[in-house]
Amino acid sequence: MSFLFARNRTRATMSDLPKQARDHFTKLDGPQGAAKAEELAKVLSQMKQVLQGTPDSEAPPEQILQLITAIIEEDLLYLLAVNLYRLPFESRKDTQVIFSYVFRFRPPTGPQKPEPYALAWVVEKRPQVLVELCRGYDHKESATPAGTVLREVLKNEAAAAIILYDDGDEPGSSARGIGGINQDRPQTGNGVFWSFFEWIDKSSFEVAADAFTTFREILTKHKELVPKYLAVNFDLFFSRYNTILVQSNSYVTKRQSIKLLGEILLDRSNYNVMTAYVDRGEHLKICMNLLRDDRKMVQYEGFHVFKVFVANPHKSVPVQKILLMNREKLLHFLSHFLEDRTDDEQFIDEREFLIKQIKNMPAQPVIPGGQQQQQHQQPGGGGHGR
Amino acid sequence: MADEGVASHYQVLEELGRGSFGVVYKAIEKRTGETVAIKHIDLESSDDDIQEIQQEISVLSTCASNYVTQYKASFLRGHKLWIVMEYLGGGSCLDLLKPGIFPEMHIAIVCRELLLGLEYLHAEGKIHRDIKAANILLSENGRVKLADFGVAAQLTHMKSQRNTFVGTPFWMAPEVIQQAGYDFKADIWSLGITAIELALGEPPHAQIHPMKVLFQIPKNPPPRLEGKFSKEFKDFIAQCLVKDADHRPSAKDLLKHRFIRNAGKVEALQELIYRRKVFDAKADRQKLPVYYQETLHTISPKDDADEWVFDTVKSVAPKRGTVRSRKPSVSIHAVEEGMHKLDVKDGPLQPATPGTVRRATVRRQPSASTRRNSIRNVSSSNGSPRRASISSKRPLQPDMSFGNSGSTMRLFRRVPSDSSSSSRPGTSSEVSFTNENRPPSSYQAPVEPHSKEAFLGRRLYTKALEPCLDELHAQTAGTAKREALARLSDALAHLDAVDPEGAYHFMRSLVSTMSQDSKLSRTFLPQQSNSNHSKTPSSGTPHATVLINRPQLTPAPVLTPPTPGSNSPSKLMFATDNPHLESHMRRRESNATTDNPLGNVSRSPEKEPRERIDRERAARDLEKMALEAKFPGRPAAPGMEHCKALSDLLYARWTDGLRARWGAVAGS
Repeated sequence: MSFLFARNRTRATMSDLPKQARDHFTKLDGPQGAAKAEELAKVLSQMKQVLQGTPDSEAPPEQILQLITAIIEEDLLYLLAVNLYRLPFESRKDTQVIFSYVFRFRPPTGPQKPEPYALAWVVEKRPQVLVELCRGYDHKESATPAGTVLREVLKNEAAAAIILYDDGDEPGSSARGIGGINQDRPQTGNGVFWSFFEWIDKSSFEVAADAFTTFREILTKHKELVPKYLAVNFDLFFSRYNTILVQSNSYVTKRQSIKLLGEILLDRSNYNVMTAYVDRGEHLKICMNLLRDDRKMVQYEGFHVFKVFVANPHKSVPVQKILLMNREKLLHFLSHFLEDRTDDEQFIDEREFLIKQIKNMPAQPVIPGGQQQQQHQQPGGGGHGR
Repeated sequence: MADEGVASHYQVLEELGRGSFGVVYKAIEKRTGETVAIKHIDLESSDDDIQEIQQEISVLSTCASNYVTQYKASFLRGHKLWIVMEYLGGGSCLDLLKPGIFPEMHIAIVCRELLLGLEYLHAEGKIHRDIKAANILLSENGRVKLADFGVAAQLTHMKSQRNTFVGTPFWMAPEVIQQAGYDFKADIWSLGITAIELALGEPPHAQIHPMKVLFQIPKNPPPRLEGKFSKEFKDFIAQCLVKDADHRPSAKDLLKHRFIRNAGKVEALQELIYRRKVFDAKADRQKLPVYYQETLHTISPKDDADEWVFDTVKSVAPKRGTVRSRKPSVSIHAVEEGMHKLDVKDGPLQPATPGTVRRATVRRQPSASTRRNSIRNVSSSNGSPRRASISSKRPLQPDMSFGNSGSTMRLFRRVPSDSSSSSRPGTSSEVSFTNENRPPSSYQAPVEPHSKEAFLGRRLYTKALEPCLDELHAQTAGTAKREALARLSDALAHLDAVDPEGAYHFMRSLVSTMSQDSKLSRTFLPQQSNSNHSKTPSSGTPHATVLINRPQLTPAPVLTPPTPGSNSPSKLMFATDNPHLESHMRRRESNATTDNPLGNVSRSPEKEPRERIDRERAARDLEKMALEAKFPGRPAAPGMEHCKALSDLLYARWTDGLRARWGAVAGS
């Protein structure tokens, strides 16, 4: 009897907590805002404890399921994401834990769904939760907790797609869920993904560095989604990338984005993106100027992009022209380039290789075989999705 | 990233320590006045991914515990990352071990505080992974804090485990070495090793090569504490060093251990801090603090001929200069301008990057306190002691007291761009490693005095003007006032260096002019106030000054005029051989007949027999002129009038000191 009673009580609390939290959220701006914020902090802490369990005992899965169901019913995830920056220090950490447990949770019984229960719901029905989590980078208070949640969630390809294809009310935007995405429509550049460029370039170090880590995660984890995305949005993406990130005034942004550019280009899954990139003379110019930066690590990271241009067996005519025009300078330059990297054998080998390549270039530009050319130009409506 | 300007919120002081990660400085946050520690990480010097540093920051920034060093902020300044942390004045436990091992009672306290810290971290899902004496810091009042989260891990899940092989070999738990998955318990093992380290001075196996230790730890039975230690302590360590992590107690469990429960208050740890200070003092280890000097890698203007050629669109290529100049930082700008002369060809191509010139943009001004110190130390007789000894003294200690923020602000005055580059022809040769203790070089080398007036002028400066200004500066509180004083001081120093004779004439005419004004002369030249002569303004030459009112006499043979030796501006200390004192003694002797108490020295002459005074005055006239400038009631220095009350007070203090020392001689 008492056993049953206890069960009922916990059930009541489980569905009650999200309701209470929602209540407090709506009154946060009211006259009793401060008191409500305190109560909210308590509720969030309780929810965290239920989800997390204690080192000694874990909460029973049914209880957690109840709680998560209630959280979804109350649309609490959205509220948490939107208000994250307004919460006090400990509540922000609690919220981070709540998100991370909710998104990982898989129901113990029933069909083994490929996606965790709550995350699947968000991706299909409430993509705004993820978009708002990204907007956490608008405030330094919410940047770290939001970023931590995002990086975990973004391992899921559908979640990454939601962020990449968010484009407001445009047709084919992810705003109506994963099913509404049209991968072949070029982005307008107003979606949440494009805000990352601003966050990385303009924010303080802590925010910018966190945003960059998430940005990198989006661009490097998904080997089908991202190449397709980059192909469709090639010009928009790389023009922003090269102007905002590679030319950033911030040392860290500049260095990290050159490095990431190299990683993107050298990733096998991005082969088509890479060939399109290294065909452009403009890109080579940017890159050659990086070699002449006054900071060694910028030069070094620039080198790893530059080598792709030179090593490309099917160099475009503009690229050949630039290299030939600067041949003597380049040969002289490279022979002294980063001479103090004496223990970096791979670098030394690659540098020698580039010198040889440039030396052996024919004096006049040769029209390349052709099959590699212009692949980035709208591969056409082939809907080979994720 | 938009935080280039944040660095100006901090006043960076001396270096606290350095390691592979960079240099840690003590600093003051200007807005709050709080002392902080700032870690400068040179991102250019490491290939490492910036993400690792960012990881450390994110772990730290999510900690809010009294047992963890408080993270405050981080921001970029060029390619340096500044991480602002709470300042802990007690040093690390490793530092505190230098004088000797810790007594058991102190170890118990440290261990309890560490366990509280670990309890917090572990509840937050964080593993420190590098617990050791070097990473435990103490505040000045003995609070124990965990530091250095360089390899700390944040678990996203309570039950998740790590495999990464990180830490410091001697302190590493067996399961970390074996990479078989570990959790919070790894920190407990390291805590046990740290306790042994505190008790014995080094961790177990310290003699063995670190790589070999990695085999020993998993293979051997766990280390045990032997020797004259309590049973509780030995048991505590045995509990920490259980090889099977599952059977190792948690931080929470260990807090209930007898050894921990009986531990005393953290304040007791102040003894360790004190012990270290005594140790340092005995060993004369008190090193001169190394002050922060800003280094900026500057940009060498590129030869146009060296630029890449991108044919028709050449202008599209970003010109470095313009990109750089958009940087908001004024100082970069300034240095850059200065660097324009340094046309280092092919700068970035050279390995050592000679194009990136390190140069201190912060240097010490010839500030009042600097010079005061140097005067005490120097006995060189070239007439310009300031330059000789600046490097050998404690830099600017006197003004560092906090709350007196005006003073700290002044210590490092940013070199204005124009003065540093244009007024110094030698700038371009000043590449690399400029010593911050380098004497200020914006002044030319002092002119050697030739004429008598020049000697006097120099003497006037070193004996009167400079000490007065120093004293005044030290006593003045307002920033603006101090600033003004400092500027005056600098100007006078310059005048002294360039034209000591000019200084002499200036002072002479100043005093004589004052003597012609009845009000001024009464205020500033009090010896005239009661004298009959004062009523009759001088008919002599305008620069007759002190002499005006006295019959001219030839110098008395007894009182030798200042010899070149005594002319040398030496110590200000009241040593017996001090020329000031000598003259004072002479004066006192002469006064003895009139039974004047020493305190009235400045006024005593009026009551003395005229001839005698006159003779004496004439004799010591030259010397006195300088000396008198220091006396209260006289023009301490032009522009100093508003500080008369202060100088009076100082003078009284000085005479009090004299009386205490020379009471017997004074016959009072």
